[in-house]
Amino acid sequence: MPHNATPLHAIPVVTVSAGLRAGELSGNAPTLLREIAEMLRRLLATDAGSAIDLQALPLTPADLIWLRARLGEGEVAVTLNADGDSSLNETACPGVWWVTHRNPQGAVVSEFIEVAYVPDVVRAPREDVVIGLESLESLSAELS
Amino acid sequence: MHGPLIETLARQGVTRRTFMKYCATLASMMALPPAAGRAMAEAMAAAPSASKRPSVIWLPFQECTGCTESITRSHSPTLEGLIFDVISLDYQETLMAAAGHQAEEALHAAMKANEGKYLLIVDGSIPLALDGAYSCIGGKSNLETLKEVAKGAAAIVAMGSCAAYGGLPRANPNPTGAVSVADVIKDKPIINIPGCPPIPVVMTGVLAHFLTFGSLPELDKLGRPKAFYGETIHDRCYRRPFYDQGKFAKTFDDEGARNGWCLFELGCKGPITHNACATVKWNGGTSWPVESGHGCLGCSEPDFWDGGGFYKALSMPANPLKMAAGAAVAGLAAGAAVSIVNRGKKSSARAAHETTTLADLEK
Repeated sequence: MPHNATPLHAIPVVTVSAGLRAGELSGNAPTLLREIAEMLRRLLATDAGSAIDLQALPLTPADLIWLRARLGEGEVAVTLNADGDSSLNETACPGVWWVTHRNPQGAVVSEFIEVAYVPDVVRAPREDVVIGLESLESLSAELS
Repeated sequence: MHGPLIETLARQGVTRRTFMKYCATLASMMALPPAAGRAMAEAMAAAPSASKRPSVIWLPFQECTGCTESITRSHSPTLEGLIFDVISLDYQETLMAAAGHQAEEALHAAMKANEGKYLLIVDGSIPLALDGAYSCIGGKSNLETLKEVAKGAAAIVAMGSCAAYGGLPRANPNPTGAVSVADVIKDKPIINIPGCPPIPVVMTGVLAHFLTFGSLPELDKLGRPKAFYGETIHDRCYRRPFYDQGKFAKTFDDEGARNGWCLFELGCKGPITHNACATVKWNGGTSWPVESGHGCLGCSEPDFWDGGGFYKALSMPANPLKMAAGAAVAGLAAGAAVSIVNRGKKSSARAAHETTTLADLEK
């Protein structure tokens, strides 16, 4: 190494935590509150559920934290174990659900705010209920 | 929700809830509204049964195998892999067990048995110079093979920027005379899936569409599926708010870079690049170039390799549309003519240069 080279420790490397890096509010989150209110009005009027794809919007991590804090924690928290864990948590506003889908490695693959009395995916699909009934019947047949 | 595909998946332990979750995520990746996830789940669940699996023939030409790497190394045994099980991949040199005459036999058997119905995937460009001698398989030039196999195909998927636009082999001065699939084949529907390499889920999305509807999805003017290439990297970038606020990193180690500000001034090609990296990300959703602190290279756009420098900020001429048309024409010319055109273009661009504002990009 030539004698005049900069020693490694003299290079000013500063690590910034992930939260700080994108830690600024973009100003895009508050408008979502109005959109969610409109979706709730539609749910009450027509029973039609709807959803917002959070990854489709220019939101910083700080925006998501802000939004989540404003919506608060509700009474119901559902964990779906299907090709990785998903959480479907009701917020403090009943009917507004914060849905996070994760892959088996734990990374978030999609994230939604869903407005519904119960999110679609929570309901047992009819075809699966039929399969469940069949296995229950064969179980009781084995016992008798 | 019922049909052959969902029942095949169910036998492999994939529940309907898992499938609904996958479709919700696929819809999000395809930039479709959330309600489309439910519709796709219904449609895809009813896709053709295993006995009628569509035949797929994959031909590698002048390429680096990066596209195959990208697809096969998408996070292992997920639903994406299972959907690949629902097609019949009859010829893929890198993956198939057969070799030599057996491999060529498999190709011809598949072509004969599924004539007019198979999906042809091509990765790599086709060299035309020296009668195509630059790239041959089994004693046949790529040009001959492409023409022969394309004849009986229902549609052709040009995988990666080489097959879609000629790619790196076509970079100035293009010693092998490389061209794209669309330059050779004129009488078949061709879908371009550019990227160097393309995102795995884009391939899956196109296959899902082919399985579901038996047709190709809606394409843009460059033959790319609108679902994935409909918006620019810039429009969907999580650093976009910093662009809007005028906060830019000026070097790769300044305060702006550490704070994750916009990389526009460091040469990011996000504003002119149509791809889904910003939403889909790479390596199982871990990260993507901009998130790793590097600007977009624009690898899903034609001629990105001759764009004049990955670290030069995009200059916005007063009339960007005219510029784009000029660049496309220049791409067709060759050798000295190109450099003369480029010189002229460069000086006119310099003369017309104006500072870019948000309003310019949103026009």
